[in-house]
Amino acid sequence: MPSAAYLMKNFFLSLKTTVWTLLGLVVLFFIGSYLMPVHRNIFQPMNDLLLFQWVAGVAAENPFQTWWFFLSLAALVLLAINTIVCSIQAIKIRWSRADFLRRISPQVVHAGFLFILFAHLLGAAWGYKISGGMLKGTFARLPENRALYLRDIRVEADDRGFPKDWSADVLLFENNERVAMGTLGPNKPLFYQGAGIYLKSFELDPRPVALLMITRDPGTAWAFTGGILFVLGSAALLVLKWKQR
Amino acid sequence: MYHKQRHLGQSGCLLCLLSMEIALFILYPIALYRPRMILPALGLHGALIGAAAIQYGRIPLIGLHDTLGFLAFSIGASFAIAGWNRKRGLFSYITIPVLLVFLTGSVVSPVMAGPLPPVLKTIWFELHVILSFIAYALFALGAVFGILSLATKDRLAEADQYRVVLLGYVLFSLAMFFGAIWAYLAWGTYWLWTPKELWTTIVWLFYGLYLHARLVQGWTGKPVAWMGIAGFVIVLFTYVGVGLLMKSSHEF
Repeated sequence: MPSAAYLMKNFFLSLKTTVWTLLGLVVLFFIGSYLMPVHRNIFQPMNDLLLFQWVAGVAAENPFQTWWFFLSLAALVLLAINTIVCSIQAIKIRWSRADFLRRISPQVVHAGFLFILFAHLLGAAWGYKISGGMLKGTFARLPENRALYLRDIRVEADDRGFPKDWSADVLLFENNERVAMGTLGPNKPLFYQGAGIYLKSFELDPRPVALLMITRDPGTAWAFTGGILFVLGSAALLVLKWKQR
Repeated sequence: MYHKQRHLGQSGCLLCLLSMEIALFILYPIALYRPRMILPALGLHGALIGAAAIQYGRIPLIGLHDTLGFLAFSIGASFAIAGWNRKRGLFSYITIPVLLVFLTGSVVSPVMAGPLPPVLKTIWFELHVILSFIAYALFALGAVFGILSLATKDRLAEADQYRVVLLGYVLFSLAMFFGAIWAYLAWGTYWLWTPKELWTTIVWLFYGLYLHARLVQGWTGKPVAWMGIAGFVIVLFTYVGVGLLMKSSHEF
């Protein structure tokens, strides 16, 4: 009778585990996409809080609405282990018998996928997300001994009076010294040492107010590195398969 | 922010535009005779898209009119490349009607005239949308090759399905990457928990599943051909269904 360790190794090495886990994730996300708009009050804070804060504060208290999310997490953990084990095995076996690009490109895709998962893990646990309105000409205290000063808000209107562009001038201070300044706008944040300051919206009446968001996500660099690896690896795989015909 | 209007409501080139759109419905079916005869239709369609871009001063990929039209064009272009050496057959008989359905959807949908909202004025958005729709077109061809493989038991059709799906998957992954950059610059995060993002991930996971399933004994052949067809149904729901039924950051 095969040992438990042998069975476990075979389970994690199996491509069937990959296929069924992916299928499970597809089904779980399908259920999630239906439940999210139905229970908007539960899922809306997912994007406002760090994910683990939402898990501890909201999701854990509403298991009948969030069970699909917890099962998805479990499936992703299983898929991550499966990916790591299969990649190690593939490199060991194919190292001597296939050309470099053929043996490395699927593993680059896998590495990219793992980087993206790791990025989500980092972003879910660490960093911060703060948002709020600021009056023109006022200061706001930020984490890491920083403060933000909103110097000006400008709005450009079109012929019909609708705002067509908007911007806000800000100054960033750290330990009472000015460290950065810039103009915020749509798709134009100000970055300083891993933190981003965003102009989300604005109001001009009764007084000019900018709705700002300040975020720090330690997973971002990992996510983009993972994205690049994933695309490069799959493009290399594409070229190889195309040639193979 | 937008004027919602139909071509019929516009003055000036009204007759010219209308006649060119009608001409597409005559030119595209010519490809039923021979796939490479799709080129005149593609030329005219490309010119119409270019003219709209010049008229609005932006990429014409906002709203159902623009995007369905671009999807039809992308399917046509992919069909021309994939079917260049093919003769008249089931491949054309399925693809051209599918293309015409999307073109009809485009013609009857309202045009979103006017400039882009500021948040969409970025190259990352343009790359994200253009690549997404080219990938959707390739997934559509993947479904056509799936039907071909099931109907004719043609091994070559199965291989062609794999190749167009793999190319579509690479472009779709690139589109998601550009979308993530755009989201990070616009909203401070590369990922948002919304139904649209979940469905986009479903498409990504499902085609990842397709690419892995081909390597599993017992899944090759019919099951994989069916998966290529099911994948495009998921794509269609992600594109049209989620936009119409669920709220997300992708409503513009």
